[in-house]
Amino acid sequence: MLFRLLKNSFLKRPKSVLLVFISIVMGASVATAFLGISGEISHKMALELRSYGANILLEPSAVEGGGFLREDDLPKIKTVFWKYNITGFTPYLFGVADFSANGKRERGIVSGTWFAKNLEVAGEEPSVQGVRGIAPWWDVQGGWPAGPDEAIVGAALAKRLGSAIGGHVEATVRGKQQRFQVVGIVTTGGYEEEQLFAPLITTQELLQLPGKVSRVQVSALTVPMDAFGMKNPAQMTKEEYEKWYCTAYVTSVAKNVEEVMAGSRAKPIWQIASAEGSLLKKLNSLMLLLTILALVASAMAVSTSLMASMAERSPEIALMKAIGADRYQISAIFIGETLIISVIGGMVGYLLGDQLAGIISRTVFNSTIASPFWLFPTAIISAFVVAFAGSVAPLRRALSIEPVRVLKG
Amino acid sequence: MSPYIIETGGLTRSYGDICALKPLDLQVPEGEWLSVMGHSGSGKSTLMNLVGGLDRPTGGTLQVGGENLLALTEDGLARFRRNFVGIIFQQHHLVPYLTAIENVMMAQYFHSMPDEAEARHALERVGLGHRLKNRPGELSGGEQQRVCIARAIINSPKLLLGDEPTGNLDHKSTIMVMELLKELRGEERFTVIMVTHNQDVAAWGDRTIHLDDGMLVREERMNCQ
Ligand SMILES: Nc1ncnc2c1ncn2[C@@H]1O[C@H](COP(=O)(O)OP(=O)(O)O)[C@@H](O)[C@H]1O
Ligand SMILES: [Mg+2]
Repeated sequence: MLFRLLKNSFLKRPKSVLLVFISIVMGASVATAFLGISGEISHKMALELRSYGANILLEPSAVEGGGFLREDDLPKIKTVFWKYNITGFTPYLFGVADFSANGKRERGIVSGTWFAKNLEVAGEEPSVQGVRGIAPWWDVQGGWPAGPDEAIVGAALAKRLGSAIGGHVEATVRGKQQRFQVVGIVTTGGYEEEQLFAPLITTQELLQLPGKVSRVQVSALTVPMDAFGMKNPAQMTKEEYEKWYCTAYVTSVAKNVEEVMAGSRAKPIWQIASAEGSLLKKLNSLMLLLTILALVASAMAVSTSLMASMAERSPEIALMKAIGADRYQISAIFIGETLIISVIGGMVGYLLGDQLAGIISRTVFNSTIASPFWLFPTAIISAFVVAFAGSVAPLRRALSIEPVRVLKG
Repeated sequence: MSPYIIETGGLTRSYGDICALKPLDLQVPEGEWLSVMGHSGSGKSTLMNLVGGLDRPTGGTLQVGGENLLALTEDGLARFRRNFVGIIFQQHHLVPYLTAIENVMMAQYFHSMPDEAEARHALERVGLGHRLKNRPGELSGGEQQRVCIARAIINSPKLLLGDEPTGNLDHKSTIMVMELLKELRGEERFTVIMVTHNQDVAAWGDRTIHLDDGMLVREERMNCQ
């Protein structure tokens, strides 16, 4: 009977039902689209933010390792649990050297690193690792070193040495000499401008430290720290530790990398990690806020159109009350109607929202997205939320109808 | 137990300054057919609505079927209406988008459970066995009123209220409806209170009360019945 009542009441008022339906579809589809691309936006944003510099620094632990890390361990970084979150890394080997060029002598730092090294690790996708990948803000005039005796010189050091692109710099460390061809001058605005950057292998020979690395910078996609992430892993229960390890906090990724690099200690570079975290958090709250606003707007539209159809429905509701319908029975009819419209509205909203998310991601990010499994329930739930929030006021109006006033005569 | 199905003491209903019903003492014995007459605005509908639990008095006492209606909540009154009262209106007040049988079943639904066979039987009793699937718009005034009667009696009420149920009907339909009501009362033994403007219609009852300006001014017993 309820079903017949509902069916007929829908067929009787197609316009008003359609209006409510459209409002719900709008709400559900906007929520679906926003939430669908919010993951994507966060991801793209996080990738963008990665270009502000590495967020994890690996250094030799004080106790073991003899002050250096092993270059041979580096490929293992590509095999860790969070390997897909690690967007790049680069090793450094530092040493003090006496530089001479154009008759000038200067003491400075020689820094061996990878610039763009093709890294092949068995069982993993080949990748290119090095400074060029993780420090895209370096402004290099000229070119990047390709051969073993090519180097780029920090702008400040180059000025003092009077070096120019195409010239040479002689580096001397404890009697061992290496002549570098200057292929580029690098400006970073930081301490790098005081250094000379040369291929790692050449630097290891010069410093007589074969296979050694002083530190490794790692750039990883991480999730913002929350209260749980801040807890000390050493004091966690087994379950907590598991959960912590399987969440891409900057600390757990750091821990992950530390485990494969013998004698290393990994620490987050907090000024980068926390700035990034708070930016992502803000972005997420903004998306959530927009979603909620869209839902509120739809709920208001639902409420308005239901209210408008109330005038037309009040004789019928008055009659139902007169012949003995109580508040629960009247509510059941309303809720039944709302439920049907919102289930269908949620499904249509999902389909539309998913399309919309696809379009946005194609036009804004130039990429396609796979909609996450939770998007469908989310769409249905948003439709419910919109429908029920929008029904509260009309239902109260319906319940307050006095049959005697309406059924005069 | 009181022999009266309806007992009022000083029953009053006022709307601000307007006193629609002045203190009224009325007893209706179970099974009586009471006609209520009076000019327009004399308080007939007000009385019906109070007795039917559709409205609340502003003063006095009101017992219907042993139930103190003043003590009932909103939902309690709704329950009272569906269990105890059948109402026939002047403007049929059928749901326009439901068929005749669905209109009857709706009353069953609010009362307990829709039962199509029972609803069909009720419509057959009022002579509409052939009009089950028609919507109110496709029925004549007399037929619509008979659907209303079927709806009013479907849950076997103890009290049948009619507020000018024949007010919109022609002479022939009026006679038909009245005869139908009389026949049904013979079978179901419910109490009838019927508001009417028509002396002939009033004459179908056992007793007639006349209201004027919210007051009971005259009462007459029909002895021809
Ligand atoms: N809701 C209301 N508000 C104010 N006055 C009302 C209301 N309903 C009825 N009345 C007044 O109460 C009096 C009795 O009305 P009613 O019982 O409907 O008369 P009848 O049915 O005998 O024509 C009338 O004067 C009418 O104007
Ligand atoms: Mg009246």
